[in-house]
Amino acid sequence: MVSQNELIREARENGMDLLPLDKDTYELFFGPQHMATENFSIILKMDGHRVVKAIANPGFLHRGFEKLAEYRPWHTNIALLLRICVPEPDVPEAIYSMAVDEIIGWEVPERAQWIRTTVLEMARVSAYLFWIMGLSFKLGVYTAGQWAAAYRERLMALFEQLTGARVYHIYTIPGGVRRDIPGDKWLRQLKDTVEYIRSKLPDFDNLVFENYVAHRRLEGIGVMDKKFALAEGVTGPNLRATGVPYDVRRADPYLLYPELDFEVPVLKEGDALARALIRRFELEQDLYILDQLLEIGPPSGPYKVEDPRLKNLPRFKVPAGDAFAHVESTKGDFGAYVVSDGKHKPYRVQIRGPSIAHGVRVLEQLLVGARIADVPVILMSLDNCPPDIDR
Amino acid sequence: MGEVKWEREQMLVDKILEKAPYAEGKVRRERRIEFSIPADRIRDFLMLLKENDFELMLQITTVDWPNDGELELIYQMWSVTHRTHAMVRTRIPRDLDKARMPTVKDIYPVAETYERDAHDFFGVYFEGNEKMEMPWILDDTEQGLFPHRKDFDMLTYVKKKYKLLDRFDEDKDNYVI
Repeated sequence: MVSQNELIREARENGMDLLPLDKDTYELFFGPQHMATENFSIILKMDGHRVVKAIANPGFLHRGFEKLAEYRPWHTNIALLLRICVPEPDVPEAIYSMAVDEIIGWEVPERAQWIRTTVLEMARVSAYLFWIMGLSFKLGVYTAGQWAAAYRERLMALFEQLTGARVYHIYTIPGGVRRDIPGDKWLRQLKDTVEYIRSKLPDFDNLVFENYVAHRRLEGIGVMDKKFALAEGVTGPNLRATGVPYDVRRADPYLLYPELDFEVPVLKEGDALARALIRRFELEQDLYILDQLLEIGPPSGPYKVEDPRLKNLPRFKVPAGDAFAHVESTKGDFGAYVVSDGKHKPYRVQIRGPSIAHGVRVLEQLLVGARIADVPVILMSLDNCPPDIDR
Repeated sequence: MGEVKWEREQMLVDKILEKAPYAEGKVRRERRIEFSIPADRIRDFLMLLKENDFELMLQITTVDWPNDGELELIYQMWSVTHRTHAMVRTRIPRDLDKARMPTVKDIYPVAETYERDAHDFFGVYFEGNEKMEMPWILDDTEQGLFPHRKDFDMLTYVKKKYKLLDRFDEDKDNYVI
């Protein structure tokens, strides 16, 4: 343990003026209103400006989605479950719909599959831009954050044309999608947007990902290794940053992903910098996937299954059974387990949010020994989505 | 149809069942397998799965079956090596004093979080998990109040707790909150 005087001296050298409450440690409540924690609360035990112990304290966002889902007809649940992860609302829609499709035994038409894949990839790009915004703000590079928000706005506009809503799309439904794509003009606009965002990536590199100051802030903090990450159930970019090439799009292929060509970037360091770089590489891969999808073009045909049961949605029944479906989101492996007892409402829905693995136990362990200034950076490098935990 | 198509999955199931004669297993479809085992063998079985390269625990699902008087626990595992999802099902009694399970947090550390979740919402007590007593998501300390159980009357609870909802029409046949 570093002595108290040393800690205070180190803090003063770093421009901080700290007055510990007692001789040894003091307690610091971090969040949930603090904007650096994004609606998440952590109770920190501090020694000077170093964290001695961290306790994740979820529950401030809890709205009981899973319980509410048992009270609603099958289709209206889409409008509820997508609120689980706001930066990437299409993922909960897709997993719930895929699980219901599997229980019923529906083969989703090709056109719907193309649209679902495109929407999921657009959601990934938009969520990564949102994440760049968050990380840049926490590192103090506000310019890059504002750029990212502005570029994301272009995707929001496209989503609005496609679904009628900017953030909560309510678009993917069991059996396909709610309505058809607006037309060729929309496809051209999407192509332009993909080109535009790609042309702006070097700016982000210069300002954030190759920036000396950003590297100093990210390098070597929040380090986890492969074994630890697997035992703790970490998935997605956080796991790939430790050297495990696990991506649901490759490991358990769904929709059009088996036909698409993309790389799964892997790094070995497992620190915050590696996690940030993985996300930067994946953003590029997602743009490349969108390119390919636009090149294939939407196949002709219906955009949802033609089934008489879809005519009367409030009385829509799903045969008894259960299914588990999962997709790769920007946070990790996002899954839904749905049980039906043959009635108008689901019997049980459980959402497997990726953040419940890396946002509670892993976070508590990675924060120990970190400086207070690193806490938001570690939190952001894990890309914690608190509503995943507080389902 | 299944036998020929999902040979890899069938081989995996056979290999695991050979070492676990107490379990029943089957292939559901491509990359999806399923086992059901008695509740007291859950630790042995999960250790066996870990030896067979099921590295990730995706979640622990609890499903309430009040008509059978049972709670179903489903341990959802993923193997990065075999690229297969395995559901391990087990059933325990629903009564609060009998709804007890041994913890598996020493085998899969992440289980600690899911066990706390199952304890908070269903009242399953996991022996050996020292965080059982720690408040998790719910701040209500009323005894025997487990909101995900099917006999939990959400409407009455909400109306008691939040008086505002009284103005809603409760004679509706198909009440959706």
